[in-house]
Amino acid sequence: MVYMETVAVIFGGRSAEHDVSIVTALASIIKPLELTKKYRVEAVYIAKDGAWYWDDKLKDIKLFTSGGIQDYLHRAQPASVQFDGGMMLVKASGIAGRKQTRKVDLVFPAMHGTYGEDGALMGLLDMTGIPYVGCGVSASAVCMNKVLAKKVALGCGLPVSDYMSFHKSFIERDASTLLKTILKRLTLPLFVKPAHLGSSIGITRATSETELRNALEVAAHYDDEVIVEEEVPNLIEVTLPIMGNDQPKPALLEQPMTKPEDFFDFDTKYLQGGKKGKGTAKGAQGYSQIPADLPKDLYKQAEELGLNVYRVMGCSGIARVDMLIDSKAKKAYFNEVNPLPGGLYAHNWNKAGVSNVELVERLISFAKERHAQRQSLATSFSTNYLQQF
Amino acid sequence: MQVIVDDLLTHYDLHGKGKLVVLLHGWGDSAKGLAGLQKELTVQYRVLSVDLPGFGSTQMPKTAWDLDDYARFVEHLLRKLEFQQPYAVIGHSNGGALAIRAVSLECLQPQRLVLLAASGVRTNNPTRRLIIKIIAKTGNAVTLWLPRRRRQALRKHLYGATGSDMLVVPELEDTFKKTVRQDVQGDAAAIDVPTLLIYAASDDAVPVADGRQYHSLIKGSRLEVVKNAGHFVHLDQPDKTVALIKEFLA
Repeated sequence: MVYMETVAVIFGGRSAEHDVSIVTALASIIKPLELTKKYRVEAVYIAKDGAWYWDDKLKDIKLFTSGGIQDYLHRAQPASVQFDGGMMLVKASGIAGRKQTRKVDLVFPAMHGTYGEDGALMGLLDMTGIPYVGCGVSASAVCMNKVLAKKVALGCGLPVSDYMSFHKSFIERDASTLLKTILKRLTLPLFVKPAHLGSSIGITRATSETELRNALEVAAHYDDEVIVEEEVPNLIEVTLPIMGNDQPKPALLEQPMTKPEDFFDFDTKYLQGGKKGKGTAKGAQGYSQIPADLPKDLYKQAEELGLNVYRVMGCSGIARVDMLIDSKAKKAYFNEVNPLPGGLYAHNWNKAGVSNVELVERLISFAKERHAQRQSLATSFSTNYLQQF
Repeated sequence: MQVIVDDLLTHYDLHGKGKLVVLLHGWGDSAKGLAGLQKELTVQYRVLSVDLPGFGSTQMPKTAWDLDDYARFVEHLLRKLEFQQPYAVIGHSNGGALAIRAVSLECLQPQRLVLLAASGVRTNNPTRRLIIKIIAKTGNAVTLWLPRRRRQALRKHLYGATGSDMLVVPELEDTFKKTVRQDVQGDAAAIDVPTLLIYAASDDAVPVADGRQYHSLIKGSRLEVVKNAGHFVHLDQPDKTVALIKEFLA
């Protein structure tokens, strides 16, 4: 019998993007992985309270859409994970107190936002020493902090729009002074964002001082760090999914079909299927133009910028780089990086000629390649340091 | 859009230009339920529709609230958005009861008030209240042996069958109890704002009799009964409802 590698898809988590993660895992990862018939796929769900569950029943989207997950969580026993010599899933089998176990060969993280996409899960997986799909600890942590990501990009000479960042305590302590400071340096309209959240959660476009004050409070409600960015004039928003390790390859530049005042908030992105109130397609697939309708040189400029951002952030596996283009000045600016794009941005990869099955297979192969590279690195060396004591 | 009001992350929709009109949805509903009405009115007015705490995308209140708390919340929302008093307030169902209470407390001081199938007449159906009470007490005793979740599901089903909204949002059970205890007929009697009452002929939840009661209490009010419509009169007969409101606000 041919040995089938066990791939654990980890999703859910203690994040505001918990629900988006469920759709990413079930629709864009588990289903195509099972279609390959090469892997034993284990669904590992982290509930909102942080408890882990491992069960084939968790592969059924209806369990989540029907609300049946609450009853399931009430009945099911959480699973545990052992890290001795790799990663082992453990749960009660229901037969005479026996345990059911499964050794995991590779992890496919499908987590968005905090405690998952931000490097926390990657740190845990690095400790186990098993390969996993996507960006590593440091790239994930930098990408998921919009302030840090901008600083890295700026440090590497990549263009970013003007911005300021503040700790929550500044906003709570003296909002009036803060407003004056911001408006002295930046010009309305401004985008106010929580520094660490994705999926457009907590983002406001402020066009007046009052809106700015309220927007700061909203962002600080979600995060302890807030970023305020100047709007790029004559704006065209584009996003570029990229895949690979040392030689990253882009998919197609994608252009959301919105006006600046109608920017992608969470509802537009995930609940309305596109342009507000007019979307017909469900989810994130129906809202944009692929490839973006840009002059050739501007398309090339944005693609280059996206690839450069991917490299300087140290991304591996997959990521998506968002950029802002001033169409009159013909200049592209880096906006942010998403180290695990919702749904892997499979719709874009499909248009670029990569099927969902191919996409997950390539990602697994990149994960193994990076793991092999890391295994070859020296992590210890002999010294006589202790003997000197 | 979002704003922090009373330390709660609050979602609201604001569209249009002109005099401010505030929409207040009913129990278990949200701003989305009034989106059609909002869209029609934005042609002439600036229309603010808010998800009240515990509904839609607005956070749950941290304690059990009554109508007074909700009224102050709406007042604080307007202040936060730096609005003056609205030209008109339109409240549906429990949002209507809230509007009456808010006007009475002077949290809202509109020039026009529209009550769509407004609840808040709490004493006119003692038989129904008695039935619900008997079912509740009996149900509690009979289902004690059931697991908590099963018991909760059964309770929800039974309350729904009696037409009670108490467990529509289970987390707001205590808030619901406080709210439905508040009879706003006294507040209605003190209203001196031009008021349009729109009730649906086939409304099982809030009968036309409640509309008649308010009509008798609110001086100079106008009562319109819309045929072939249920409790969500603005959804069942949108054209008729919008036409009545537009004419009244003009």
